[in-house]
Amino acid sequence: MVAVKIDEDIIGKEYLEMAFDRCIKCSTCKYSYKDFEPICPSGEKFLFESYWPSGRIRIIRGLINGDLEWNDDLKDAIFACPTCGGCMDSCQAPHADYIVDMIEALREMAVNHIGPGPNQRKLIERTLEKFNPYDEPNSNNEELKKKWDLPDKAEWVYYIGCTSNYRQQVIRDATIKFLKDARIDFTLVDEHCCTSPMIRTGQVSIAKEFMNYNITQIKNAGASKVVTSCAGCYRTMQKDFEKFGAEMDLEVYHTVELIKQLLDEKKIKFKGEYKKTVTYHDPCHLGRHMKIYELPREVYNKIPGLKLVEMKRNRNHAWCCGAGGGVKIGYPDWAVEISGERINETKETGAKILSSICPFCRTNLSDANDKYGGDFEVLDLLEIIDEVGIEKSEN
Amino acid sequence: MTENRPHMPDFIVIPENVEQIIELVNFCNKYLVPIVPYISGNNVGGLTIPLQGGIIVDFGKKMNKILHVDETMMYALLEPGVTFGQLKKYLDENHPNLRYSYPNAPPYASVVGNALLSGMTNLSTKIGPMSDSINGLEVITIDGDVVRIGSCFYGINEADPASWWGKGPIPDLVGLFVNWQGMTGLITKCAVQLWPNHPFKKPYLAVFFGLTDIAPFFREIGKLDIVDDVVGFTIEVAKMEVGIDEPKRYPEEPAYSAVIPMSAPSEKMLEAKDELLHNLINKLNKEQGTNIHLIDYNEFSKLYNLKARTIYELPAVILSLVPYSGLSWVGTYCSFENFEELIEKTDALFQKHNVPSYVMMKTMRSGHYGIFRPIFRFKKFEDQENMVELIEEITDTCIDLGCIPYKTPEWMTAKIREKINPGWIKLFEKVKKCMDPNGIFNPGRWNT
Repeated sequence: MVAVKIDEDIIGKEYLEMAFDRCIKCSTCKYSYKDFEPICPSGEKFLFESYWPSGRIRIIRGLINGDLEWNDDLKDAIFACPTCGGCMDSCQAPHADYIVDMIEALREMAVNHIGPGPNQRKLIERTLEKFNPYDEPNSNNEELKKKWDLPDKAEWVYYIGCTSNYRQQVIRDATIKFLKDARIDFTLVDEHCCTSPMIRTGQVSIAKEFMNYNITQIKNAGASKVVTSCAGCYRTMQKDFEKFGAEMDLEVYHTVELIKQLLDEKKIKFKGEYKKTVTYHDPCHLGRHMKIYELPREVYNKIPGLKLVEMKRNRNHAWCCGAGGGVKIGYPDWAVEISGERINETKETGAKILSSICPFCRTNLSDANDKYGGDFEVLDLLEIIDEVGIEKSEN
Repeated sequence: MTENRPHMPDFIVIPENVEQIIELVNFCNKYLVPIVPYISGNNVGGLTIPLQGGIIVDFGKKMNKILHVDETMMYALLEPGVTFGQLKKYLDENHPNLRYSYPNAPPYASVVGNALLSGMTNLSTKIGPMSDSINGLEVITIDGDVVRIGSCFYGINEADPASWWGKGPIPDLVGLFVNWQGMTGLITKCAVQLWPNHPFKKPYLAVFFGLTDIAPFFREIGKLDIVDDVVGFTIEVAKMEVGIDEPKRYPEEPAYSAVIPMSAPSEKMLEAKDELLHNLINKLNKEQGTNIHLIDYNEFSKLYNLKARTIYELPAVILSLVPYSGLSWVGTYCSFENFEELIEKTDALFQKHNVPSYVMMKTMRSGHYGIFRPIFRFKKFEDQENMVELIEEITDTCIDLGCIPYKTPEWMTAKIREKINPGWIKLFEKVKKCMDPNGIFNPGRWNT
């Protein structure tokens, strides 16, 4: 029984309730399960209990019970967390799968009382005005459609995502080229932000409106399937749309899933070779949030000549790149510092390429590579495939 | 998690080295500021709750290095913040022939904290509590002196890491700090014994149908010197480990179960141990009328829930302990003399309060004594009041039957003190006064 009533308007109300009679603070969330390696970027950085998942659960209790008062001193403890889900994987208690939901609900509550985290208000201000969090003029993608000769109606929509469309355009272009080469019947739409930055930072007031807009756009294009090259968009469409009550009756794919399917069905084959050693960084939104670990590895391993090696922390134990959860905009130096650990781990593998399948990971890993002198290339899987080339199989 | 009342510290200090701690102790002693040592804050007795405010010294975050592992003399020299998970990983990767002894505590719990508080482990039937395996300590005393205790005591400067091989045939000053709950000084280094990591392993699950059938088994099993450990649980716990939240014990079911890990350097030796274990159970069933069955634990966990292996594959969080927000225990050392009475009376109290019986027990150091530990899981915001009543009643029963609680909160030490002989109390208070004349080290513990 929660001692004090929780505001009915809070979307994550049920997760706030969950914070009460769960968690004995056993601290299992602080290590990767059975591997005993640090897993929580926030706790490892700030050291105080409030920065670990168990501490945040106690902040929820304190705020709702009235033991804690709302003030700006709480902001960092609430917002300095990339919501990577390392804690969800490590925790063995019944509430394990909902720890990030609890943190996001705490943020939702915090936004109402003390405002968003540092710099994070910009995310929603920009998105309201320009429909993307990067403050770029909205692209309705008509130019791209013309350039790539895409139809108005198609079976598939390639949902580019803001990071690929406005920052990591190399991923966008490689993906479009791949889809063309694979002869997928696809088009682009005038997409707006997927809402991931809003949800992760607790600024959820317009999220459902944006979700419905995107669904309508996709349906208006006659599509029944969506493919995205962004792990964050993918996670949001797969999990959050339903949580917010948006009717997402469309099939959602990450590009890596489509590639794997086409390879399995022998509909495509690689043209060239990639004689380089690559290590794969698991994006949190695809890995721990969606439990997709082996599928990307299977695709890398099918690229002729490519040698895939693992960092010491991989799959569900992978260290976060540090960009998510509003950390990249809220705590930019620390975000790169988190990624720095991945740069060191990449060095240990001897790989020349650090690869991932998330444009946001690519951004932050590249920043860390520059800052810490990683001296290797940071590439998305699609960029590697673009270099190798594919062709439609005869079968 | 604990039912003990919270108190806030005034400050938290996260030291990096001994010099900073000396400075802190001198400051606190001059201005009479309480100092409460803290490592990972996992103790269910709430021993790091600052009863009188002051400064919490958090050793867990920056003084957490494994300073030396000595293969020859089988010990590890540790800073206080080293965790069980950290030590396990380090040994597995760098010294696979050695192992430490791990408690039924989460991986983030502190090795040194558990050793200083006589915690038990998964080698306890063989070696006793962790405190028995301390080779030496480095301590900051109230005067700001750095004191090295044990075989490392030679010399003026920093001790050679290879010199921490034993307690030595010298007055046992380690005892001034073990079980004192941080009331006599601050530990900055601790050497703990390691053990051969035998390659051949086999865990058993024994089930005991009569409520007290486990008692004769506990009296005898240690004497055989064949098992690493024996940890007994009420059958309700076994059910919780396979995923039943609030289990009941039905009339025809066993009352207790026990996990029995065995290991040996050769297959033949393991087979011989296996035979002796079976012989003991056959003998008890035949001669004492017990109804005990042995089950291969690996097969049991495969059949029901592989996660149940966490109960012997330590360090691991024990799954039955984590569903709620509240956790407490009455952890006691006990004699097996009146073990049946202890089991029966405690069981009756759980039944009276309509709470699933959660009891854990061990036979320690070849059966010289035991651990009897009723455990309480509860919802802090719903059930705490009722549970506190049960905890107190079980505490009284245990103390009446001669059990000695360990890792004790102050309400429990108050009950113990009522029964202790006056000479002990007088000496205890003299030692405390001598070690900490101004009463700044974890004040309030043991009702000081």
